[in-house]
Amino acid sequence: MPCERKPMRYGHSEGHTEVCFDDSGKFIVTCGNDGDVRIWESLDDDDPKFITVGEKAFSLALRNGKLVTASSNNTVQIHTFPDGDPDGILTRFTTNATHVTFNSSGSRVAAGSSDFMVKVVDVSDSSQQKTLRGHEAPVLSVAFDPKDDFLASASCDGSVVVWNIEEQTQAISWPLLQKTNDVSNAKSLCRLSWQPGTGKFLAVPVEMKVHLYERGSWDHVSNLSDDLLTQPINVVAWSPCGRFLAAGSVGGSMTVWDVNSKVCVERQKHEKGFTVCSLSWNPSGSQIAYTDTEGCLGMLDGFSSSTTDTNKQVPVKKTAKDYDDLFDDDDDRLMDEGLSDTNSPVKKPVAADDDDDDDFLMPATGRVRNRGAILDDENSLDTGSLRLGQDKFGDDDDAGSTVEPTAAPLVPLRPVYEGPMPTPPQRAFQPGSTPAHLTHRFMMWNSVGIVRGYNDELDNAIDVEFHDSAVHHAMHLTNSLGHTMADLSQEAVLLACPSTDELASKLQCLHFSSWDTNKEWMVDLPQGEDVKALCLGQGWAAVATNTLMLRMFSIGGVQREIFSLPGPVVCMSGHGEQLLIVYHRATGFDGDQALGVQLLQFSRRRRQIINGEPLPLSHKSHLSWLGFTAEGTPCYVDSDGVVRMLNRTLGNTWTPVCNTRETCKSKSDHYWVVGVHENPQQLRCIPCKGSRFPPTLPRPAVAILPFKLPLCQTSTEKGQMEEQFWRSALFHNHYSFLSSSGYEINEDGQNQSQKEQQELLMKMFALSCKLEREFRCVELAELMTQNVVTLAIKYASRSRRMVLAQRLSEIALEKANQIQEEEREEEEPEYSSYRRTSGYSGCVQVLGSGKPSSSSGQPRVTNILDNMTSSKKSTPLSGSAGKQNKTPVLKPLAPRPKTKVSPSANLLKIETSQPKTGFQLWLEENRKNIIADNPDLEETEIIKEAMGKFRTLSAEERLVGRVQTGFQSTNGVKFLTLD
Amino acid sequence: MDPSEVEFLAEKEMVKIIPNFSLDKIYLIGGDLGPFNPGLPVDVPVWLALNLKQRQKCRIVPPEWMDVEKLEEMRELERKEDTFTPVPSPYYMELTKLLLNHASDNIPKADEIRTLVKDIWDTRIAKLRLSADSFISQQEAHAKLDNLTLMEINTIRSLLLDSLNCMFKLRSNLQPGSSKGQFMDY
Repeated sequence: MPCERKPMRYGHSEGHTEVCFDDSGKFIVTCGNDGDVRIWESLDDDDPKFITVGEKAFSLALRNGKLVTASSNNTVQIHTFPDGDPDGILTRFTTNATHVTFNSSGSRVAAGSSDFMVKVVDVSDSSQQKTLRGHEAPVLSVAFDPKDDFLASASCDGSVVVWNIEEQTQAISWPLLQKTNDVSNAKSLCRLSWQPGTGKFLAVPVEMKVHLYERGSWDHVSNLSDDLLTQPINVVAWSPCGRFLAAGSVGGSMTVWDVNSKVCVERQKHEKGFTVCSLSWNPSGSQIAYTDTEGCLGMLDGFSSSTTDTNKQVPVKKTAKDYDDLFDDDDDRLMDEGLSDTNSPVKKPVAADDDDDDDFLMPATGRVRNRGAILDDENSLDTGSLRLGQDKFGDDDDAGSTVEPTAAPLVPLRPVYEGPMPTPPQRAFQPGSTPAHLTHRFMMWNSVGIVRGYNDELDNAIDVEFHDSAVHHAMHLTNSLGHTMADLSQEAVLLACPSTDELASKLQCLHFSSWDTNKEWMVDLPQGEDVKALCLGQGWAAVATNTLMLRMFSIGGVQREIFSLPGPVVCMSGHGEQLLIVYHRATGFDGDQALGVQLLQFSRRRRQIINGEPLPLSHKSHLSWLGFTAEGTPCYVDSDGVVRMLNRTLGNTWTPVCNTRETCKSKSDHYWVVGVHENPQQLRCIPCKGSRFPPTLPRPAVAILPFKLPLCQTSTEKGQMEEQFWRSALFHNHYSFLSSSGYEINEDGQNQSQKEQQELLMKMFALSCKLEREFRCVELAELMTQNVVTLAIKYASRSRRMVLAQRLSEIALEKANQIQEEEREEEEPEYSSYRRTSGYSGCVQVLGSGKPSSSSGQPRVTNILDNMTSSKKSTPLSGSAGKQNKTPVLKPLAPRPKTKVSPSANLLKIETSQPKTGFQLWLEENRKNIIADNPDLEETEIIKEAMGKFRTLSAEERLVGRVQTGFQSTNGVKFLTLD
Repeated sequence: MDPSEVEFLAEKEMVKIIPNFSLDKIYLIGGDLGPFNPGLPVDVPVWLALNLKQRQKCRIVPPEWMDVEKLEEMRELERKEDTFTPVPSPYYMELTKLLLNHASDNIPKADEIRTLVKDIWDTRIAKLRLSADSFISQQEAHAKLDNLTLMEINTIRSLLLDSLNCMFKLRSNLQPGSSKGQFMDY
């Protein structure tokens, strides 16, 4: 019995709640501790009607348009349903009533009270009362016999009593429950339930079991139990057909038994394990609504298949019995073979496992009825599937037999399918709109403005409002065409309505930014074509229709491209010259949607950037928002609240950047996304308490959520920095995209972001260094720019990690080469003479030992190689090499110094143009002292000397200098080569 | 202190607005405000909020406490307690006046809120008068009044101080040994 547990939603404030369906099964009616009775049109109803019945409502019953409630003023009242007008007081007690219930015809109401009394009252004439006295403690629950002769009640005195209503006497009493002094202290509410129809059985929840008593004889016929039930059962409820019995326990488990076979056919667990305090079957038998003691309402849906199963069950049993007769004394083995022979067309599932076959067979033979139940107890297998297997087996059987003797079709049986169930495809929607059935709704909320639709008795209108009043003033339109879809951009408002019997589906565009006097155009779609989704871009509009067609229009109303979509559209979004389409790629299974995505660009080079790739969604969720960031990166949100953004640098993959549900306080709260900004990083959304979307009034306020990549261990410093780095990298991808597609970009912002990333890398580097993770350091260094690698080298050499420094210098060299090659590609012809010098300055490591005079004449490439080898050789003896070297001591490291610093520029000159290292600063201060001490030293020797002194300083003293060193520092390597 | 001066102080309180224009950060002596993004809530002082509101440049988001249910709760508590209960904002009266006078269209149930705040105010002022009365009649030297707002203190300050002065004079006249009385005798 596949049944779907819908998510719980907030119904009432904390405390005991009750639920029931109305006679038609259309409404769910709940009452709770807040004294309200709420009438829900469906579980998703966000504006349920409510009737206030008192300070608290303890119990309710609904029949024939009369709503009976037990409220805290010790009365049992009637209200009309669904209007909610008070219709008098039925009866009063000396204290509050605990449970009220109708009889099957709806003519009488029984109420149990904490004053130990049970009253049976005629609804039409409340003076016709029968009082049943005899309980010695508050009454827990009451239940009418469907034939109206008896009434069952359970009480805190531990007894369950069946009363003869007419005689007002006890027919029988069982001491079944634990004694308590009050309803609030009772372990279980012990809601009794009488089998509808014939009333053959009375179900009484006793601890972890349900006792079934036979009407008339009052014999304890059997027990229903389930091994997985560990907590006392609170409520039981018969299905309207009388075949199934549902029970809800204190521990939150809900179990459904097939009463005939006593097999558990369904088990569900409350989301949070709260106590289930009320259960109610939909009169159609397809749903069970339940409430918990925290005031939440939930639903189990999809029992319809089970009721059809019921019908099928009969012939299955028959056929099984036939076989039973055939193979009367044969062992299972033989029967098994025989059976598998007859259903050779569907042999596969049977042949899967012999042991399983036996299991399936035993209940199917119907020889020992209870063996199924015993088997059930013995096996910890999921009995639901066991049953399904049995059903399937039987049906296969039948299919087999009908294939052979076609002349005798018993009952036309569809084969039961037990594989993954297809998910109903989600409907097309406009991102940023609230459901169309609401009378007041948002038709669009985006970064430009808000389009609101009103559709009530007074008015059918559309309000357009702009966040920035500089774009356009607010507009009020009468919605005579019945538009249901809208989009809004800086240039226009686009509206569309579905077709009606007479009128075709229409597209209306209010092009308010037009400079001529005609600000509006309208297009009729061909007969039979309905607009399903629409969006606006810059200078264009796109419409997707139910005929899998995508029509483009210019913003002035010229028809443009038209093409077919690969599947039914779900939604679309436009930004600048990009169009993002999401459609149904295939049928999803088991709650998942199978969506595909297309991204088109209409710039100079029109092309498809993403061609129909699957759109990743969280498990069992659907798409809830689609759009672009303000900077033009595609983005979407699924119903699990996960925001994903396109990563253009990683082959157009989707990266989850935020989970809005993590910030929600309660499970029924959601965030309704209205916009995404990459710079600054903002997720703009509206917090919705207890619903998925906001109401139009009071006007919701936008909140801002931060992004967070779901990396591991973000509580640690390392994880945090990694998250920051990758987030920064991801959220600055748009710079390269924008510049590549010909937009102007904010260079400052880009540099800032790069600086931020490099800073983070350096911090991570330092952290790894501290943790003695040198390999990791090198990995990090590979992500760094060359400038920062030099800084890293400096850091490594300072912390005496010479191996690391050596490796880093190789990386630096490599990076320098890369940059040179790039540069060479860029500017080969013009600056060749100048670039040679810049080439040198690029390969820093060489400085201590290079041979600039010879290299300057040679082709540059060989030059670098020469230098590289020589540098490696000479590093160990760099002391002497450094001394003899006549090349400038400090050189610009940056690979592209456009300032024409010649290689022979002297130290001081460079010092003025470069940021200073700690050593330099120190040197400046102390130069005079050194010269005074050793007047005959040359410039390089002075520095050598100074270096020696500097080394003797303590780390703290040096740090004073280091703080002043920026990332532009270019002299870090010098320390290394002089080592 | 003048009520208008108290109101002036109240205008420094921060309030959320939703601007409908776009403006970079503005740098003022009292601190930086903004940036203003259309449709995004931003905190500004009341004086600026009112100014922008008057020019129809923003919508004001009422402070959290300016809500019928919360105020009703406060009113009940205020009525129940003998002492002064903590108020939602040290300038609740001034802010209510200012915001409701200038931006009642942005505040849901403005009339109810006005009545509720007035009720709270009346209750508190009544308590204040009552305690002043008992203070004087019992000739106490000290009184402790917690949770009073500036505006409330102002309403009673001049009257209370003047009357205490006056009474002091009268009392000192009554005492037989006082110099003033003797002088008067002559």
